[in-house]
Amino acid sequence: MLKYTIRRLIGMIPMLLLISFVVFLLAKAMPGDSLSGEIDPLNTNPQYIEEMREKLGYNDPLPVQYFNWVSGFLQGDFGKSTRYKVPVSTLLAERLPNTIFLGVTSLVITYILAFAMGIFAGRRPYTIGDNIIGGLNYLGLAIPSFIAGVFAIYFFSFNLGWIPYAGSVEVGLERGTFEYYVSRVHHVLMPAIVLGLLGTASYTQFLRNDIIENSRKDFVRTARAKGTPTSKIYNVHIMRNSIIPLITFLGFDIATLISGAIITETIFTYPGIGQLFLESVGNRDYPTLMVITMMLSTLTLVGNLVADILYGVVDPRIRLD
Amino acid sequence: MKKKSLLLMLAMLLILSAFLAACSSDNAEPAETDNETETEDGTAGEAQSGGTLTYGFETAPEGLFNPAFYGIATDAEVLALFDEALITYDENLQPEPGIASWETEDNKVFTFTFEQGVMWHDGVELTVNDWVFALETIASPDYDGQRYSNVQTIEGAEAFRNGEADSISGLNVIDDYTIEITFDQARVNNLVNVWSYPMSRAQFEGIPVAEMSASEQVRTKPVGLGPFKVTNVIPGEAVEMVKFEDYWRGEPKLDGINIRVLDSSTIVGALGQGDIDMVTLAPVNAPEVEELDNVEVITAPGLTYYYIGFKLGTFNNETKEITEDKEKYADLNLRKAMAHAIDRQAWVDAFFFGYGKPIDGPVPSNHWIAADSADLETYDYDPERAKELLEEAGYVDVDGDGFVEDPNGEPFVAKFSHYATGNPTFETRAQAIVQYWQEVGINAELEMTEVNLYYEMIEKDDPAMETFFGGWGTGADPDPTALWGSDQLWNYPRFKNEESDKLLADALNVDVVGTDEELRKDLYVQWQQLVASEVPMIFIAELDEIWGLSDRVENVTFDVSGYNNPYEWSLAQ
Repeated sequence: MLKYTIRRLIGMIPMLLLISFVVFLLAKAMPGDSLSGEIDPLNTNPQYIEEMREKLGYNDPLPVQYFNWVSGFLQGDFGKSTRYKVPVSTLLAERLPNTIFLGVTSLVITYILAFAMGIFAGRRPYTIGDNIIGGLNYLGLAIPSFIAGVFAIYFFSFNLGWIPYAGSVEVGLERGTFEYYVSRVHHVLMPAIVLGLLGTASYTQFLRNDIIENSRKDFVRTARAKGTPTSKIYNVHIMRNSIIPLITFLGFDIATLISGAIITETIFTYPGIGQLFLESVGNRDYPTLMVITMMLSTLTLVGNLVADILYGVVDPRIRLD
Repeated sequence: MKKKSLLLMLAMLLILSAFLAACSSDNAEPAETDNETETEDGTAGEAQSGGTLTYGFETAPEGLFNPAFYGIATDAEVLALFDEALITYDENLQPEPGIASWETEDNKVFTFTFEQGVMWHDGVELTVNDWVFALETIASPDYDGQRYSNVQTIEGAEAFRNGEADSISGLNVIDDYTIEITFDQARVNNLVNVWSYPMSRAQFEGIPVAEMSASEQVRTKPVGLGPFKVTNVIPGEAVEMVKFEDYWRGEPKLDGINIRVLDSSTIVGALGQGDIDMVTLAPVNAPEVEELDNVEVITAPGLTYYYIGFKLGTFNNETKEITEDKEKYADLNLRKAMAHAIDRQAWVDAFFFGYGKPIDGPVPSNHWIAADSADLETYDYDPERAKELLEEAGYVDVDGDGFVEDPNGEPFVAKFSHYATGNPTFETRAQAIVQYWQEVGINAELEMTEVNLYYEMIEKDDPAMETFFGGWGTGADPDPTALWGSDQLWNYPRFKNEESDKLLADALNVDVVGTDEELRKDLYVQWQQLVASEVPMIFIAELDEIWGLSDRVENVTFDVSGYNNPYEWSLAQ
């Protein structure tokens, strides 16, 4: 297992290099740069823009720019955001906790809902309950998150007044107090549900199908023949087998945790990585844009690795060496 | 003026939000707000004091909360609440003494006298040294903001920047409250141009200039001179401010102001619920807000205008010279015909919901140098006149396809470019212009270009840019040289006219105009007449600033220079 992990980790290096190359070229291929776009003549002047282009190295040949970026990156210098004028690492540190909090909450909600609904539907396939759950799930799969977000705001915030529609915390609360944390949870709930909608739907259906399939297998018949109670068959025998594919999803969720929230964060004005990413694209904030893309790529690679390793852990039949 | 491009996905969202806004305005319940802070102070005088006003922002501030470093208008809006310039502007955009008053005899040497006892939020008294500190920071070679043009007119600033001097020779500190500033030459606009925001020397002590923009003194713990002080910054979503009791003009009436960032889709709903008290509105949202009972929509004259430019030449970046070498739109009658073809009033009503009006020259009509429309050659909607002009210019339909050919009989296609962002109304409003031209027989084509690429193409005089849509703003200093001089990169139409250059130079020349504002205005009026008769641009519309104010907000007034001093604002209890 260790050998395998190391091999995979080494294999990531050329992959990451390739990704960095593509990310860099794509970023540079976007028309304009962080200094172009609509100009406010009261606020700037052509000389400044010329000087900044020179200072930021936009006038250097592309290979030089790429080399500068990569060498800085390897030394842990992620560059300075051209828009916010702070090191990108500071910017990420500001936003990352919000996004992780959102992602984890959404994941927890997803798992709770998916397990509850999946087990229920799996035990009673083709009944009314199963069909209702199935219908809801397909609805959840079909509604894009930006529509779900806007409607959630309309119904739950404006009509019912249950949840806030913007921000990550109530203005005016002292950091660290009990109210502060309650407010954080209150603010994260709705975006987390919206974000988890799609995941919940696919997990539920996955679990349901797996349970149905397993319940027809020989070992279940044997268990029944022994007189094992039905609830034990489902909760222990079938469950154990049905969870295996779900566990491997956990690996992929790592990247989704951070990247999946781009649209949701924007609609709920939730200041996280996703919102930052979208802004950095719009503003040609190359350093921020490239660091976030690299981070997401790395997480996807790591996520795949974790998924593969977990697979070997939960299912000893799979040998990884 | 600073809408940046969002992604295509957001276009959908915008449509949806309009729909949502429509829904919410129907159901908007009269405000049942729970005010964040309700305070003890009862009635005092005519305006009640106390209460916290919530100010909604549609875009998140970048967090550069220092006048010397900020880059976008949103940050400037935050700054306006907690910091203050030495000089303020009245409703005619004329400078008036604020913290500092000034005296000058020759427009070259100015003596500024500061009010005594003006305090920074940290309790340190403001002195002229803080101003010197700001000027030297901006003139430092390590400075990464964009304000140097406001300092370089001071004598010795260039030498300081190049490292040839340890201080700026034009700054002569007489005592803590008096400073004499010498400019490199006498100019009419030296006063309005010079950088007039001091920077707290005590706060920035020991921070190298290169690291200032990232420092917490700029980003999260800014200190200013204004009526409110920042207590908490939640990056990307909120800024909390409380009143600054020692504010030099007097104690503010409000207890504080909270700035909240909202997505544009939630603005109308939040106003209806009474969650926000004050917000600037996009024209598309304003009609919905007008229907809310608890919110008043206020318009104030703006200082921005939209135009359609004709590319008349090219700009040489090396020599900084314009050559009018593009022939396609060189014919004045053709340009006039294209101007007469457009029904600007109908266009403004359709796409800006009436929050704006047609403009006839390159200066918004509320600016003090604006020429009266009666003095300008105007191009009202007149398709018949447009057709006549086309015929006079030799543009007639030779091959009978319904569109005119150029004087040589070659097919004539007018290309119109407009920038594309996530905003779905841009394409329709551009299409409307194209249709106006088609109606008078000009075969016009629309090209939507992504906004960043768009301005790059305009700047580089890309052959694909023939006629283009754009917007400009005017500031307190009316000098339009940066946009119209024939050696300027931002003279997008590449309009080169010696008379225009001369008029613009004269209006800044102390020997010609001295300190006579009327004389100066006269020159600008002549210049506007010249530009209007040459039609390097079709001037389309000037827009209003639109504000939504909840009915509990009192004593907020607007004029062309913006809102009144926030220390006067109050809330009905």
